[in-house]
Amino acid sequence: MDDDRDPQLLKGVLPMLVLAALRQGESYGYELVTRLQDAGLTELAAGTLYPVLNRLEREGRVSSRLVASPSGPARKYYLPTEAGTTELARAQRSWLRLAATVARVLDTATPTDPDAAPAPPTDDHRRTP
Amino acid sequence: MTSLSLRDRLVREAYLTRFSWAVQDHPHDHALVRDVRREVTATADQIGMRAAVAGLGHPRVLAEGYLAELGRRTPRWATGGVWAGLAVGALVYLALAYTLGTLDTLLDLGGGTLTRTTLGATTQYTATADALGVETSLSWQWLLLGAGVSAVAFALGSRAWRVWTPA
Repeated sequence: MDDDRDPQLLKGVLPMLVLAALRQGESYGYELVTRLQDAGLTELAAGTLYPVLNRLEREGRVSSRLVASPSGPARKYYLPTEAGTTELARAQRSWLRLAATVARVLDTATPTDPDAAPAPPTDDHRRTP
Repeated sequence: MTSLSLRDRLVREAYLTRFSWAVQDHPHDHALVRDVRREVTATADQIGMRAAVAGLGHPRVLAEGYLAELGRRTPRWATGGVWAGLAVGALVYLALAYTLGTLDTLLDLGGGTLTRTTLGATTQYTATADALGVETSLSWQWLLLGAGVSAVAFALGSRAWRVWTPA
């Protein structure tokens, strides 16, 4: 399986994935990273996720609270707000539409019979001065 | 609560120092540094400080991540301050170089006293075998020049025009 992913693709959908992961339950930064890594985003780093969490919080799509831990320092737990849940539903619809369109375009553009594809022009057809 | 070793503290603070410099453009940079410090400390409790810091990536890249999420470019006030300081330092250096050059020339010519008035300030240079001295006065023109040079350097260094960049 080809695991090379375009980081730009991930960047576009990461806020949606974060909201989706948080919908399953309140979580803190590092746990969220491991949760998304376990889901298949193996190359996701904390440094990629934290700015997204910060933006979602600034935009009021997630709320946070500090929870004291007996074994370590306090952790910041995140949970989607109502606005976040609404945004997740919107982003999900938008993503599904885009994915369907991309699949359709790729289907059309992929030649099924290599012989049927138009041959590229060769040097023989070029005119020389 | 687990306390951090000195080495872990040093690793964390070295990272945060670089991060705080790189993220200075952000309007909430102090809060971000506080957040990252808390997160990395909490994560280090699970996987160790080195791994926690490594997970954050390069401090400049992390800062760029936060700034990119901001969706607009912001002024760099601290950089502007450094530029202004350097500009004033360059002026002082030039004045000192000119003064030392003048005194040296006076000595080469056999010594004596020279009075010059520039931008409203009169300066007297004395260079003899027994004494070496400079006496000067301040003028509003010099103060204006210093303020102007540092203001221009500050504006350019801080990219002050970004204040008017629409959010």
